[in-house]
Amino acid sequence: MSDQRIPVQPVYTPDDLDGFDYEEKLGDPGQFPFTRGPRPPGARTGWIQRELSGEGGPAHANQQLKYLLSHGQMGIDVIGDAPTVGYIDPDHPLARHAVGTTGVSLCCLDDYRELYRDLPLDEITLSHSLPPVFQVAALHTVALERGISPARIRGSVIQAPYYCEDCSYAVHMPFELRLRLAADSIAFCATEMPKFHAFVEDTYYISEGGLDGVEEMALGFVELRGIVRELLSRGIDVDQFAPRIAILVNCRMDFFEEIAKIRATRRLYARMMRDEFGAEDPRSLAVNVSAHTSGLSLTAQQPANNIVRGTAQALALALAGVQALEVSTFDEAYRTPSEEAHMVGLRTQQILQLESRVTEVADPLGGSYFVESLTDEMEERIWSMVQEIEALGDPADLSDSGWFRRIFDEAAERYSRAIGDGSLPKVGVNVHTIPADQDRLLRDVSERKIEPFRDRIDQVAAYRRSRDNTAVQAALEALFESARDRKANLMPPVIEATKAGATMGEMAGVMRMAYGKPADPYGAVPPPIAAKVTP
Amino acid sequence: MKPPRVLIAIMGLDQHEVGAMAAARILRDAGMEVIYSGRFNMPPSVARTAVDEDVDIIGLSCHSWEYLYYVDELLDLLRAEGSDIPVVVGGSVVTPADEQDLVSRGVAACFGPTSTPDGMVAAIQGLADQRAAAGA
Repeated sequence: MSDQRIPVQPVYTPDDLDGFDYEEKLGDPGQFPFTRGPRPPGARTGWIQRELSGEGGPAHANQQLKYLLSHGQMGIDVIGDAPTVGYIDPDHPLARHAVGTTGVSLCCLDDYRELYRDLPLDEITLSHSLPPVFQVAALHTVALERGISPARIRGSVIQAPYYCEDCSYAVHMPFELRLRLAADSIAFCATEMPKFHAFVEDTYYISEGGLDGVEEMALGFVELRGIVRELLSRGIDVDQFAPRIAILVNCRMDFFEEIAKIRATRRLYARMMRDEFGAEDPRSLAVNVSAHTSGLSLTAQQPANNIVRGTAQALALALAGVQALEVSTFDEAYRTPSEEAHMVGLRTQQILQLESRVTEVADPLGGSYFVESLTDEMEERIWSMVQEIEALGDPADLSDSGWFRRIFDEAAERYSRAIGDGSLPKVGVNVHTIPADQDRLLRDVSERKIEPFRDRIDQVAAYRRSRDNTAVQAALEALFESARDRKANLMPPVIEATKAGATMGEMAGVMRMAYGKPADPYGAVPPPIAAKVTP
Repeated sequence: MKPPRVLIAIMGLDQHEVGAMAAARILRDAGMEVIYSGRFNMPPSVARTAVDEDVDIIGLSCHSWEYLYYVDELLDLLRAEGSDIPVVVGGSVVTPADEQDLVSRGVAACFGPTSTPDGMVAAIQGLADQRAAAGA
């Protein structure tokens, strides 16, 4: 089978749910084990509608956000460009042709001030696919500057310490430092920004290379559990941080499997947090799930077809009862979303929410012979894969030795073979194709390019000259010393360095140095502080 | 005849590797020898590796637009080395308009989202044969 899809029967009957115990398996929505959703029925219907956005410099991205908010978007969801998510400043030689084309370019406090300009920070939710430590430091600082208590800020940021090097977010830091930074930012937010979900387990990005739903959630749980253990080992009470854990999942075309995956995830999570990690606060047991519809499932051929795919996927997510979602847009195969595509993605969500009535009843598929059987099956498969991986030993070794990497590589190969041999049908690609010269609908807008925002390069270089470099140096030295002290939380020195005017690339550089790595993984720019001899 | 040697690389900060790995696998399955240099390459290192490894083809895989700017630099470096190694570009982001533009700039072939594995293999084999026949 193409992507290890779970075999299904032609029909399901009461026999398939023999001995099914409602209280044990489901409970009402808002009741343990939260299979049917984290909140009681009627508490809130629907989901937070937002579209992933980010393009150009921060001022340009700010305009994008305002555009979406003016058309009914309920929160923002910002993604950085390739340099930003890789902890590289825009004036780095490797960033030259990538500034602002696949997300927004952000590297210092001024940038975040621009990004958030005029946005009602304490009225909307602020979600981020950005480097968590630097983003949290900047948002915390900007909020205080604007007289808004950080404690009032809602939103989220993704954490990706386990797999970032293997799937498109490589930051060239050792595993230990990646895990430390994740835990530091989560621990900081648990007290300073208690409404902010600094602990988003992002299984979307790890699965976009072709993982199936079981692999996606198994790897996600392995990472989530690793971060939880790290926080517990620091003596932090589980109920202090667990209420702000969320999971950001993928949604492919396998309609019922994705719904079952989300329901199984909520149940697994609740049992794990209660029975294994000893959580007691009900909010620690009921996990928020948000989702992106799968970009990998979209095609360059006949881009209009992607609107249909996005609609089907968004419907699955609505039926699964997610708390927030983003529809990957019809031009995804070519670019980050155009304004036109953003609007269609947002409208897809609004039409589903307002016209279809699918959210009036909580967990409308609960009790379906098929969906409950599939939920059980997904739960069993995910959990057994988690056990298998954890039995292999230290995740740092699995990461460094390329064991995780091999899972991603094999999944990618499996996926491309399945498309190639047609075992995974893709309309317009391997079945029902049309000649390229007839494939015109939405093609021009999908293929429209944007130039790299190279003005940013000179601006950032000029910024470096204009700031108080003595203060920057002192702050970077302090960050270096904190990073060498393996017990310190790095958020306070990162905030101080951010306020002093240090860039993300510099801060990441001194942290790498403190772990015995070159400041610049590409060897193209000098270290931001004089090299230290480690005693 | 010896099977073609193909260098596969991704340029700049484009972190998407799925396409590059798929291309490498398709070419290996077709009996070609693939030197896979993965992510984070710049034109000088690609040109250097290609010449040192005596490859028959350089294949750039792309999922961002960075390659559009790196291609010229790479072609210039190869010419400066006196090398005639053909450069081909593949990736789902490559549009027909890009293809026209790239070919006019000296790229030997492009493989966009509608290209087939067989078509890609045949084109690369053809370029390698052509170069061998020209006595390179």
